[in-house]
Parts: sequence; structure tokens; C-alpha cells
Amino acid sequence: MLLPTYGILAISVFLPLAVMAFFSILKRSPFDPGPLTFTIDNYLVFARRPYLIDVAWTSIQLGLWTTGACVAIGLPAALALAKATRGQSQKILFFLIILPFWSNGLVRIFSWTMVLRDGGVLDYAYHQLFPSAAPLGLLYSFPAIVIGLVHAYLPYMILTCYLSVSAIDDQFLEAARSLGARWPTLFLKIILPLAMPGIVAGSVLIFVPVIGSFMEPRILGGKTGVTMGTVIEDQFTQAFNWPLGSAMSFVMLGFILVLFGTFAGALKTRPVAAA
Amino acid sequence: MRTLGIGWLMVVVGFLYLPISVMMLMSFNASPFYTLPIEWTGHWFAQLAQNERLLDAGRNSLLVATVTAVIATICGTTAALVLGRGTFRGKRLFQILLLPPMAIPWLIIGTAMLVFFHWSGIGRGLHAMILGHVALSLPYVVLVVGTGIQTLKPELEEAAMSLGSTPAHAFFAVTLPGLMQSIIAAGLFAFAVSLDQFVVSYFLAKPGVTTLPVEIYSSIRKGFTPEINAISTLLLGVSMVLVLAFAWLSNLGSAAHERR
Amino acid sequence: MSISINRRQFSLLALSGLAAPALVKSRAFAAETITVLNWQGYGTDEAWALKAFAEKTGITVKHEYFNAESEMITKVKTNPGAYDVVLINSARVRQLGADYLSPIDQAKIANDASIPPALRMHPNFVIDGKPYGNVWLWGMTGMAARAGKAKQGDSLSLLADPGFTNRLAMNDDPVVAIGIGALMSGQDMNAPKDLKLVGEKLKSLKKNIRLLWQSEDEWNKAFAADQFDLSVYWSGAAIRSRQNFKLPVDFIVAKEGAIAWVDTLTVPKSSTKQDAAYKFLDYMIDPDFYYEWATKVGAPASANPAAMAKLPDGDLNKITHKADYLATMQIMGPLSDDVRQSFVDLWEETKAFYAK
Repeated sequence: MLLPTYGILAISVFLPLAVMAFFSILKRSPFDPGPLTFTIDNYLVFARRPYLIDVAWTSIQLGLWTTGACVAIGLPAALALAKATRGQSQKILFFLIILPFWSNGLVRIFSWTMVLRDGGVLDYAYHQLFPSAAPLGLLYSFPAIVIGLVHAYLPYMILTCYLSVSAIDDQFLEAARSLGARWPTLFLKIILPLAMPGIVAGSVLIFVPVIGSFMEPRILGGKTGVTMGTVIEDQFTQAFNWPLGSAMSFVMLGFILVLFGTFAGALKTRPVAAA
Repeated sequence: MRTLGIGWLMVVVGFLYLPISVMMLMSFNASPFYTLPIEWTGHWFAQLAQNERLLDAGRNSLLVATVTAVIATICGTTAALVLGRGTFRGKRLFQILLLPPMAIPWLIIGTAMLVFFHWSGIGRGLHAMILGHVALSLPYVVLVVGTGIQTLKPELEEAAMSLGSTPAHAFFAVTLPGLMQSIIAAGLFAFAVSLDQFVVSYFLAKPGVTTLPVEIYSSIRKGFTPEINAISTLLLGVSMVLVLAFAWLSNLGSAAHERR
Repeated sequence: MSISINRRQFSLLALSGLAAPALVKSRAFAAETITVLNWQGYGTDEAWALKAFAEKTGITVKHEYFNAESEMITKVKTNPGAYDVVLINSARVRQLGADYLSPIDQAKIANDASIPPALRMHPNFVIDGKPYGNVWLWGMTGMAARAGKAKQGDSLSLLADPGFTNRLAMNDDPVVAIGIGALMSGQDMNAPKDLKLVGEKLKSLKKNIRLLWQSEDEWNKAFAADQFDLSVYWSGAAIRSRQNFKLPVDFIVAKEGAIAWVDTLTVPKSSTKQDAAYKFLDYMIDPDFYYEWATKVGAPASANPAAMAKLPDGDLNKITHKADYLATMQIMGPLSDDVRQSFVDLWEETKAFYAK
């Protein structure tokens, strides 16, 4: 049963990555003439280039802020979608939330520059109200990157939370309320634990790709947009140093695996309590 | 509480559509550099109608995305069921193996695919692109359907079986409908991932064949004009119409199916 | 997909011999197709030019594009026989060298006669006495400022001037960045002896830098949206931005110099259509083609002085690209992998510093 999925992944991802792993222990690009020399030097990249530690930290911060914001915004939205709407309007809202996904990422990010830049939509509106204020300076900053990333990844969180939350029996909530529980208790004791699978899945779907992102940082971040993603891309396109670029990707992957390994226990999902 | 919830939903939808509406508005703006104020024109749409390359790319994208979504959803759902229901050694390993396609930057995976497909004779072309797209969409499908599975009540299937139904029938009549929402959501995700995927498409496409994101990405160099906005607006408009039609039709079909 | 169908239809017709006279113009050429690998929108794919070329020689030109020089190198190395003409910056020709490229027989290219030997046999791309590229265009990477904003002079130190706080756009290219730093510290940009000093010069720009650009389009959009006043930019692009897009930008050649570069068109060794490729190479330095391209669209300088002479005297291109610059300025030259890597590493470190 697992064969088709993992078969496809094996051919398209695992084997190619194995090839990349092989490249990563080479000294020079494999297309260059001459004998292949092996080295693990590339994996010591953080020791050799200490400025990368700052860059990695920026990537992690982006991941944390984006995921956190998505949970804070997305969970209530999912709750509202599941409980406060129904029928036709629910379906329509559901699709409305997914639709922005189908617009091209690059065009979306570029549209954000038009919203955030000085003289752009937000700045313009702000100056209508406060004509003599200084420019907002939103674009080309860390917050701008987070805004772009949250916008791109929010639907994931809303959707996964919606899937979990929509399975929560209304009768539960009714019963609890009739026993005197008020909203904070309802939320913390019933809704949050039952929504956990959705929150966790959404966080994985968001945190992992965000760490390696390079489009939003580059376009929205200006000079602050230096992340693991952009550095790795530069090694590939500017330096043509595949060994180093691959090694860095694997170090990043290793970090993510360690992270999930550590939290695996905490993330262990309990089966949903039976009705 | 309810009004608060709906209010928040409206805020979120507003946020999601802020840059989208800017994008759509700009497809009517005469300035090729997107400067304000807007000078209204239908010029870019007219130019788009003549732009065979871009329209071709759009068609290819839709085709590839649809095929990807179907394949990825079927494969991913089966995998999610096995991972969600079964207990076997190495299950954790399989779950972890879902992470690399999402974690490794597309550029690396794309290059790796290019090199490996070249060496192994798979080569470039539509089949290679679809293979790559499906592989990149699979983790999303598995994770989303997996969430749905975790919120299912397994007792329902057991109850159906205790009432005399075969396991297969119980699956199709009870479990699958319960998972329908997750499966559809996963399919939509796979579609979106494929539609937006440019690196893998760029590397694996046969020369002369392009997809929309590849065209858009390449046009960064040359200069992308509001024609790009025009086609994105069109795509979005068409999707919206399809979605509304689907919602209306499915409402006709199902009775109060989703009432809990 | 549509391309392969056309080819099949075409060869069927050719076999039947019926349509040949109808398809081909009065001269009896065997219609040929060559494939050119280049940046998109960089001269070789101008529709009007390809039409004129096809009418003149019967050769159809197809294109494939790349978005980065490293990509171009990968494509040439992994697709033997796929390309007949490849654009390669003269500094990169040696990276492919005699293993992948054919030596150019300049006697077969009529327009080469009007190019001074110092240029058409530049050491950048001459290996064992033979040229492996045909010079095509040259330009400079230097400062470009919003009209009226750079009154303080023409030194590269303008880049660090406090008057441009948060109004500077830098090119996100390690070779250009190191080059600027080298010029600012009076060093050889192809072999700077004191990289640390280069790094310090670059880091001194931190307060001014607002964004980094990678493509002409990015530059144009940000400039039009008034996001910066000063930048490091390409001469040909600056002229295009001014002439074509009416953006108020002045290209400034600093007194420390600018980074000159020379682009060549090469013929891969594996190409089976070398004669047709040569005809295209000749057309690209033809004064008539260049005149149309430079005045209607905008271009860097042509390597062919006869082509430059054809431009009107008041033309911005002609004024900016003074012929003696090629003799006095440092031209981007080949870099060994190690040196290039050291440039990339320094620039990455500098960018991380800018981001802190």
C-alpha cells in the first residue's frame, strides 16, 4: 500500500538526494575534469564561516514567527469557519480561503511590495490620515518578510485546523457549557487538545519550508533578506559550488530532523477521545 | 461569540485578498512599472490574447497540476491510511521520510532531479515534470489526510462491521466519506503546489515546453509586465467561477449530508 | 510540443520537394535552423532581426535561455549538440575552453575585419593563440544616479556618502561587488591582493544600502517606485532605462574607473551547423543590425567600431561608451574556482553583515 507513494518519492527525491549527498563530499563540482577528491570540509561550513550562524538564526526566527502568527490567526479563523458558518456559505468561504494559493507565488510577493513600499497602498492610506508623518518604512525589513510568508502559508494552518476542529462534536461543547464551563475553559480543555493534530500538521507544513525559503526574503527583505535559503541558492548559482550548496542543505535538513526527533515525544498524538 | 468569529473570518479573508486585489487591479494599469496612480486600460489583456507562449504555458500548468493532484491524492491517501491506522516497525522512519521534500530548498531538489534523471535515463519532459511535481506534493497530501484520519472515529468502522458489513464496504461507506473533506483539501493543496512550482518545472521541462510559473520566473530577468497580472487574474477568475459552480452543484446533490 | 510538429511537417514537405520553392525565397538555400543560448531579451532574439536574418540567409534561429551564468555552463556541458551559438562573457570563456568550444576562424567573419586586433584577440578568450569567442558587445558596470541627485562629484566614495542613507541599491553579484570594492581601494579587480580591505570598503556601505537587485527589471521597477537614488548598474541598461522607459537616470563613470566587461558569442565544439553559426555571428556585429537595435531598443556598446560610428553623434550610447575606455579600464577577466569562491564567500559574509 505504501509502495506507490514511497516508490515515487524514492525515484524522484531520495535517489536524487543520494546523488547530491555524494556530491556534497566532493571537493569540487563533479563536472570539472580531473580526479574526484573527497572531503568532509563542506559539512564544517558553520565552523568555517561563522557568519552563517547569524543567518541560520534569522531563518529559524522566520520559521518561529511565521508559524506562531499562523497559529494565532489561523486557529480562530478555522474555529469560526467550522462552527460559526454552515452550508453554502461555509463551502464558499472554505474555497475563498484556498483560492489565493492558486495565484502565482512570485506575482503575489510582488503585489506585497506594492502594498508595503513607501508610496504604496498602505503608506498612501496612512498619509491620507497623517500627512506630515514619516514614511512607514515597512518594505525591506524582517516584518515585511514575515507578512509575506504568513500570507503565503496561512491557508495551510487554517485548513488543517479546520479539519481537526470540524470533527469536534457540538454536543461536547453544549454539554460542557450546560455544566457551567465558560469560553476560556472550553477552549483550553476541549477545543485546543482536540485541535492539536491540525495545529501540529499545519506547523510542520509551515515551519519546514519557511526555513529554506528564499523568494520572500530576497524580494521583501531588501538587505535584511539573508537566509539559509538565499545563501544556499547563491552557492549554486553564483559560485557553482554544488558540493558546498548540497552540504549546507543536508546540514539544514539534519537540524530539522533533530528538531522533530526532540519534539516527537511531545507531538505524539493521542487518539481522539471516543464520543 | 458567533459574530466575533465571523468578524475575525472577514478580517482574515480581507488580509488574504489585499495583495490579490492589488494584483488584479494592476492588470488594468497602463504603467509597465506598476506606478500609481492607476491609468485604466484593457491593453494588457489584449496583449495576453496574442501571447501564445504565455497562454500555452498557462494551459500546460493547468494540465500538469490536474494530473499531479489526482495522482498525488490517490497515492498520498493510501499512504496516509497505512501510516495512520497501522502499527509496524519503521513507521516513524516513513513519517520522517516525508520531511526532506519539504525541507530541502527546491533548487537543490530540482538540480538533484535533473542530474539523476539524466543519468538514469528518465530524461526530461512531461513525464519527468509530473513525477517531480507529484513527489513534491505527496508530503502535503499525506500530512493533510493524516490529520483527517486522526480526527476520525475508528469505532464507526468497527460498528459497521459488527453490524455485518465487510471491511471493504465499511471502508467505502463509512471511512471514506468521513475523509472526503480532507481528501479534497489535500487534492487542492497538491494542485496549488504544482501550479506554483517553477524550479522543478524549469529543470525538467523539454526545451520549448514551459509552464506558467517558469515563464513568470524567467520574465523577472527580461521584465515582467502586467500581462503576467492579466493571466494570473484570469486564472483566479476562472478558478473562482469553477469553485462557485461546484459549490452550487454539490448543494443540489447532497441533502443535509454535512449536518452533524 | 508545437516545435517538433513543425519540424516533422517541414521535413515531409522538403522530401516531397513540392513546397521547397514556395517556402524558400528566390535564392536556393537549404533552409537551416540554429539554436542560440543567451539571456532572454539580450539582442539575439529580437523578432525583427531574426526575420531579416532569415530572409537574408534562409537560416531560422531558435532560442533557449538561461537565468544565471552557472546555468549556462551546466547547459553547455550537459547538452552536446544542442546549441550552435552561446553567449559567454569573455571572463568565462576559459571555464568551458577548448574542451567544449571551437576556435573561431575570424577570416570567415567579414565584420571582424573592422575590429581592432587588441579586442578581437583579447587574452581573456585566447587559448594557445586561438580565439574561442567572437567579441560582440562591451559595457561597464558603474554608478547610476537619479538625475540631479549626485551633485557631489564622481568618485566611488559617493556610494558611502551619508547623503544617500538608505537610498542605495547594490548589485547582488559577488564579482561586481568585489570589483567595486577593489576599485574603491585602488586594487586590481581580477586579483585583489588585500581582500580584507575590499571587505571593509563594502561594509562601509551598510547604512546606505536599502536593497539588492539582480535583474534589470527589478532595478527598473524599484527605481520607478522611487525606492532609491543611487546604485551600481550596467551602462547599457542605464541607457535603456533612460531612452526607452524615460526614467530619470544618469550613468556616471567614476574617476576610480568602472568595471568594464566584454561579451562574446561562441560556437560549441559539438555544433553541427558551424557555418550557419558563423553567419549569425557576423550578423550580430553588423552595423545595420546594431544601429536598429541600439536606437530602437537600447543596447550596450558594440565591439565593432564601425557599428558604433554609425550611431548619431548625440546618441547617449555613443557618448557614454567612449572607445578608449576599453584600453584604460580594467576588464572583467577569468577567475579560478578558488578565487571565485573567495569572492562569493566575502560577499555572502558582507550581505550577512548588512542584514544584522
